[in-house]
Amino acid sequence: MLVALSMLVFVLLRLAPGDPIDAYINPNVAMSQAEMAALRARLGFDQPLPIQYLAWLRAAVTGDLGYSIQKNGVKVLPLVLERVGPTVLLMFLALVIAIVGGIAAGIISAVQRNSATDVGCSVAAFVGISSPPFLTAILGLYVFSVVLRWSPSGGMLTPGTPFSLSDLLSHLVLPACLLSIGHAALIMRYMRASLLEVLNQDYVRTARAKGVKELWVIIKHATRNALLPVVTLIGSSIGMAVGGAIFMESVFNWPGMGLLLVNAVDTRDYPVIMGATLIIGACVILVNILTDVAYALVDPRIRVA
Amino acid sequence: MSVAGSISSSARKGPIARALERFTINRIALVGLVILLCIVTAVLTYPLWWSYTPNQIDLRALNKGPSSAHWFGTDGVGRDVLARLMQGGRVSLLVAVTSVAISTVIGFLIGALSSFGGRVVDGAVMRFVDLAMTLPPVIFLLVLASIAGTGILPTILVISLLSWPVLSRMVRARLLELRERDFVVAARGMGAGLGHLLFRHGLPNCIDILVVYATLQIANAILLEAGLSFLGLGIAPPEASWGNMLNAARSTVVLEQYVWQWMFPGAALVLTVLAINFVGDGLRDAFDPRSDLH
Amino acid sequence: MPLKMMTLALAGVALAGATMLTPPAAAQDQKTITGGFDVGPGGFQGNFNPLAATGGFTWLNVYFEPLVNYNADLTAIEGAMATEYAVNPGQTEYTFKLAKETWHDGKPFTSKDVKFTVELAKNGETGTVFAARLGAVSSVETPDERTVVIKLSKPDSGFLATLTKLMILPEHALASFTPKELATSTWWATNPIGTGPFKFKQYVTDQYVELVADEDYRLGRPKADRVINRYFKNTAAAVSALRAGEIQFTYVESDDVPAFKGKNEFKVIEGQSFVVNYLGFNQQVPLWKDVRVRQAVMYAIDRQAIIDSLYGGAATAANCGYVAKQLVPEGLNAYKFDPAKAKALLAEAGWDKVNGTKPITLLTYYNTPQAANVMAAVQAMLAQVGINVVPRVVDTPTYNGMIYAASPDFNQFPLVYAGLQNGPDPSGLNIGLNAAQKPPAGANFLRIEMPEVTQAFDAALAETNQQQLSARYQNVCKAMNANLPWATMWVANRYGVASTKLKDFVWVPAPAGGPYNAHPEKWALEK
Repeated sequence: MLVALSMLVFVLLRLAPGDPIDAYINPNVAMSQAEMAALRARLGFDQPLPIQYLAWLRAAVTGDLGYSIQKNGVKVLPLVLERVGPTVLLMFLALVIAIVGGIAAGIISAVQRNSATDVGCSVAAFVGISSPPFLTAILGLYVFSVVLRWSPSGGMLTPGTPFSLSDLLSHLVLPACLLSIGHAALIMRYMRASLLEVLNQDYVRTARAKGVKELWVIIKHATRNALLPVVTLIGSSIGMAVGGAIFMESVFNWPGMGLLLVNAVDTRDYPVIMGATLIIGACVILVNILTDVAYALVDPRIRVA
Repeated sequence: MSVAGSISSSARKGPIARALERFTINRIALVGLVILLCIVTAVLTYPLWWSYTPNQIDLRALNKGPSSAHWFGTDGVGRDVLARLMQGGRVSLLVAVTSVAISTVIGFLIGALSSFGGRVVDGAVMRFVDLAMTLPPVIFLLVLASIAGTGILPTILVISLLSWPVLSRMVRARLLELRERDFVVAARGMGAGLGHLLFRHGLPNCIDILVVYATLQIANAILLEAGLSFLGLGIAPPEASWGNMLNAARSTVVLEQYVWQWMFPGAALVLTVLAINFVGDGLRDAFDPRSDLH
Repeated sequence: MPLKMMTLALAGVALAGATMLTPPAAAQDQKTITGGFDVGPGGFQGNFNPLAATGGFTWLNVYFEPLVNYNADLTAIEGAMATEYAVNPGQTEYTFKLAKETWHDGKPFTSKDVKFTVELAKNGETGTVFAARLGAVSSVETPDERTVVIKLSKPDSGFLATLTKLMILPEHALASFTPKELATSTWWATNPIGTGPFKFKQYVTDQYVELVADEDYRLGRPKADRVINRYFKNTAAAVSALRAGEIQFTYVESDDVPAFKGKNEFKVIEGQSFVVNYLGFNQQVPLWKDVRVRQAVMYAIDRQAIIDSLYGGAATAANCGYVAKQLVPEGLNAYKFDPAKAKALLAEAGWDKVNGTKPITLLTYYNTPQAANVMAAVQAMLAQVGINVVPRVVDTPTYNGMIYAASPDFNQFPLVYAGLQNGPDPSGLNIGLNAAQKPPAGANFLRIEMPEVTQAFDAALAETNQQQLSARYQNVCKAMNANLPWATMWVANRYGVASTKLKDFVWVPAPAGGPYNAHPEKWALEK
């Protein structure tokens, strides 16, 4: 699976016009071809593609992903691994905000069905789903950083200051909140629909008929079961969050996998693209497997796959 | 939508008619449908009622705010924002509808093939779907865009190739369940071919998934086009699209001083996506037999 | 169950945050200048190796120094590490007297470091861009610790200009590397040692580079304690940070300038870009063989109107590759906007038969909003006279990959909108226009073969008499104006914006970032 992925990326990359040296040349400051040839010679792209790929694969199997072309010979593996943390942090916080906010709003909406709160929440959720993430990012950045100055405009830590948690959090909160909007909206809608359905089920009616308090019915009997489809949604949305994180990371200059990948693609840094793809692919596969397993464990009815 | 229309006259009138009935009593969905119809009509007919053309520049009227001459103002080269908004709507909707049509076909065929094709085919196809879902879209986009160039056709291609895997999984799940039902087992026993299985039994039983998915996916495709154009990989200027009009908001000057240049395309985009989501949700509820219980 | 766990986790995070939320413990008494020094076309984020640099010299020059450097007006070359220099009458022997300075690690800087650097830069194995440019150097001699004599095998009028970009490197730190290792060494981005007013502290990948003051800098201890170069994905992000008060300086696009003009907190720095923008006619497609067609393109585009509206007047129309007064002769054809004449010329040239209204791709790597507007205006103006161009914007690697491909598909770039450096050294245009510079030799990717232009360049390059040089380049200008290898458009101004808290700050929008003597040791930050 990962091998197929890496092969596909490898071939696609070489099909794309422009190599690392082309990315290196400033078109406004022309260079002689001899100078370009000198630069290009050090890359070793003169061998046939299959041989280059096999060489890469052989090294990759032993955990050696090679060296970055555009980053002064930094090793790819540590470079990529170092970026996993910030991305996970951003996505984790965004997901937590989305889950907590989405589930809370979903429960409130479902319980007070058709009330003003419900309509308000539902409309807000619809608008949240319908807004392009990059526009939210740009507007959020403008309003909260440039105008209100509540939050730094980008980066993960204030340059040149010693690490402090508050500094990290102040950089993290805005992008995480903006990233969570779409997911929160989706989770809210699923939660609302799923809870409404559960509230109609026999066992809930039974509980009510037995005289269990309404609040307890909702918390103990309904919510637990209504969460099932939401859990699947959360699992599958982790994969999608990677895509959204790329937008957010480039707008907020957040040093995660997304930014690394976008920069690497911009500069045609082949080894970094290959390495980052491999790691992202591995993570997504892992998450998919975990979701399947978790789902099968939680819901014994699912034995189809 | 057209799929739903043509199907309603076919043999499965009962459930479809009931679904339509349910749809028509869903007020939000109807509002969405009305908004959508208004937008589509405006976008399609704008040359009849608006005198400016989308690419007509006027260097003496740059960045002018809304006025009686230019209702929605002008942009950085003096083009009329309303005309570009309408033309951009045509492009965005065309891209969205076409790409979704393509990806729906691909998604259905692959999902159906996987479920009816036997264990080996199923395994292989599903691994392929996993692969397609794992590949980072940025790379895929970049490569496709640079091989195919930017423009309407490549954008359609990119979006349709990006969005089929989810549908194929849904179709597969539905059909796997169906495969074991008596009438399908019977059909197989009588030696029905794959084509017969797919189109006589598979398609009708997936039609609700397909219609709902396609509707909601159009909304996603509009957003995706906007995102692509934002990354500079979608519809390239001077051709207008809502995405590349929004792209102007990257400049802080435009963002705060020439608000009309991004606010109107932004509003049009959100409104359209919202309306489609309303309709899609209405359709989903309408197709869901359990919704009668509420 | 998951809900419970989530709530618990959240409470835990909140608790931890509350207990650890302390005010930033940074030493705020330190004077730190933060800027986006590598933003914009002259910058090169992520490159630390000066031997392989194609840009970003403004920043490299804060911690490395060359022997000689441009002054801040980019009008003359003056001393840097060399306090003075002399040239023999035959222009083959350059003698440099070196300043007394120590490397950032305390070791003395001597003439041996200069010899080491020049020889390293001549060695192609280091992946250097200087190997070809220093081809004329025959020997480097070090008569004493403070004197260097560089001998050339033949005069090279661009030699000093090349030396300005050659940052002197420490022999004691690099001698242990083989040239090949240096090309990909992490030394450049982890602990480089220079002689500049600030010394390297750290690079946080894709985030920022931090330098601290060099206490014993020969021109005085820097007024600021630290200089930080923040990295930004694009200019818009840097502008946001500037407006949010996080950085004190960045390059800005010209359409961002109105947001800063007339504000007390900001000072707008304006300067010539030294890049001439042009529409380049690909001579390998049959569209542009007839000079009347090329003239028609010039007449069809109202350059002054574009400059006045889209550039806010901050550009100079170019009637040849140059706009500097001393290089532009009298009596050039100004190609004043005249669509009727353009149509007439096209009719004479039989444009209907050559192409008619079939679409012609106009390829560019300029992806700024302003460039998009310019392309839209050009497209509309050319459409008026019956030339149907369709702009296509690609990223820089794609553009370079297309035009420099071993066997290019010429139909992908029948017409380009591009720019080329035309100053401070006017010879910069030669590589794109001289028939001898067609690939694989040079960067004449449009395959222009115009004998008059080529001869004019050859004569200018061979000229050793400085007084005659301007006259030679006037001839180049004349030849370009008459033959129109390009439809030359304009030389636009470029802008930087600095906070008014920043005092004695020097920045010019030099191509590739210079370098030039910016004297970062004098930069000061007011509270």
